[in-house]
Amino acid sequence: MKYCKTCHIHYDTPLETCMFCNGELEDNQQDVLSYKFAEVKKRSASRFFYRLFIFLNIVSIIVSLYLDYADGLPLEWSLIVGITNIYAVSMFIMLIIPTLWTSKLTKGIILTTGSLILIGLAINDYSWALDIVFPFAVLTNTFLITILILVNKKKWFDYFSSLIVISIIGLLPGLFNVLGFTTIQWPSLICFAYSAFTIIGIIALPSKTMRDEFKRRFHI
Amino acid sequence: MKKQKYWYKLDNAGKIFPAVSQDERSNVFRLSFYLDETIDPLLLEEAINKILPRFETFRVQLKNGLFWNYFAANERRFIVESEPAEICKYFRREHNRGFLFKVYYLDTKVTLETFHALTDGTGALHFLKSIVYQYYKLRGFKINHEGKILGELPYSKKESEDNFVSNYDKDKRRNLKEVKAYHFEGEKFAHHWNLLVKAKIDSKALISLVKEKYQCTITQYVSALLAYSVFNETNDFVGHKKPFKIFIPVNLRPYFDSITLRNFSLYIKTSYPAEVTSWTFEEMLELTKEQFRDQLDKEKLHGQISSLVGFEKNPVIRALPLILKTIAFKVGYNILGASISSSSISNLGIVDLPSGLKSKIKDADFVNAGYGIAMTLISIHNKTNILLSSPLKDLSIMNHMISHLVKEGLDVTIDTNYKEVYDEIL
Repeated sequence: MKYCKTCHIHYDTPLETCMFCNGELEDNQQDVLSYKFAEVKKRSASRFFYRLFIFLNIVSIIVSLYLDYADGLPLEWSLIVGITNIYAVSMFIMLIIPTLWTSKLTKGIILTTGSLILIGLAINDYSWALDIVFPFAVLTNTFLITILILVNKKKWFDYFSSLIVISIIGLLPGLFNVLGFTTIQWPSLICFAYSAFTIIGIIALPSKTMRDEFKRRFHI
Repeated sequence: MKKQKYWYKLDNAGKIFPAVSQDERSNVFRLSFYLDETIDPLLLEEAINKILPRFETFRVQLKNGLFWNYFAANERRFIVESEPAEICKYFRREHNRGFLFKVYYLDTKVTLETFHALTDGTGALHFLKSIVYQYYKLRGFKINHEGKILGELPYSKKESEDNFVSNYDKDKRRNLKEVKAYHFEGEKFAHHWNLLVKAKIDSKALISLVKEKYQCTITQYVSALLAYSVFNETNDFVGHKKPFKIFIPVNLRPYFDSITLRNFSLYIKTSYPAEVTSWTFEEMLELTKEQFRDQLDKEKLHGQISSLVGFEKNPVIRALPLILKTIAFKVGYNILGASISSSSISNLGIVDLPSGLKSKIKDADFVNAGYGIAMTLISIHNKTNILLSSPLKDLSIMNHMISHLVKEGLDVTIDTNYKEVYDEIL
């Protein structure tokens, strides 16, 4: 045990000086004192690079928009750059936040198709994104999660929310068809039908565990 | 027979924590036992996985529903880790196999750090005692549990009960509006590191001091002492518009005959006005005793439970999707929640161990890191450990408190996670 003559307190740790008065501690040499906590180690500045990445993307958006605007032409290429920058930052943030990989996949597909549709809108030609890319991306994602659930039945409830979300999004191409936003209709119809059947299947074929999962997910 | 599939709604106290927790505000608290031998990590891990099925409120993972979070059974194997340098460090459950608690080892110390959405200090203490008991059992010791180790007793459904909801009475709701509190300002340590200072005092001497000299309880005494130290050592409190308010959790189990392992604590607040320019310690203690008498009343606590549960039962709140609730909780907590307390004091009481374990568990820590100064107390082997933690690089208030205890004639032994070389790193 060490002792501070000024503060009249004992120390059960191998400090050389008193925390409160900075005076040298007396050591009675009888006990071997040990530090009872984990040592602090110097850390790398990983946060700096994370912030730098976001900062550079913001600079890129502002500079591109300014140059395009200064040319006096309608904004086009700068919007593509801006959307790509936002997409890069969003994907980066989404990827570093740890979640289930199925959830990451679903979010990634939503982000990617959303960005492609925005790029399509920026160049006044969005039909390829809305008619083809969007329904096929959602369809593939729904199919993958369905397969995953069938193969890994034990963990199906881990993938349940991703399946519900992507199936509901899969109904959108059908809605776009009805509203006349699409020109090629068959991919949207397939996507809508597959998503609708998936949702009906979830509701109409409930086992006891499925009913329990509904109860948990939707308890209010 | 124990169920393998189960789920729980989060209790009232736990509902807000998943939304508002982050690196700066982890809402994690720590309990440590110092054993009589170096920990064998593999055996410790085995002990935890052996008793986890008995503690179904701990064997859970947090899931997102459409309207609320919930706890679902977690069948993964739990993994122990070496203790990190940061106390009560925020951890992502995805990096912890979904579990909402961590168990660390360091030399002879076993540490349980628990996310507050899961349980409070009383629940965590039962769990840690059971882990250590099981550890020694696996080491080959035969120790009589004397009915003090929950892991050795049959499971009761009452352990998993949400006693906030079961004690809700809408006619007893009361207004919980609060004024904002004084907040400490100052430079913080880097990397969310918290300074910990542990003052070990002889329990008999401390009890004799508070009972005979001041006719109060230990918690009342340390509350007044903290407020008195803030009054003496800060230069921006006196004349400040906001009072100094201490958040003091109250274990509700004795009041409502509960044995739940889930959160069942509320709080009282002691408040010290900033307008008063001259305080003596005795005056502050009298004010503290008066506020304790006023607030530690079963009817008032019942009213507080009913108001808090009434809030979550509000149909508009209930119908909000979880994503909007999370945003509302974050905004509400930043505007109101964090600003209504200056400090916190939590007294876990005496660690009651079976006689066979008494010689094996040498010491105990209970730490609750937070903003300002967080004080926690735990008593074991006739010693009371007062643990002060702070993210701020300012020792003046702690210094004043320790000096006061010494002046009262108490023999104080300090331990800390601080080292001289840390001035260069933190």
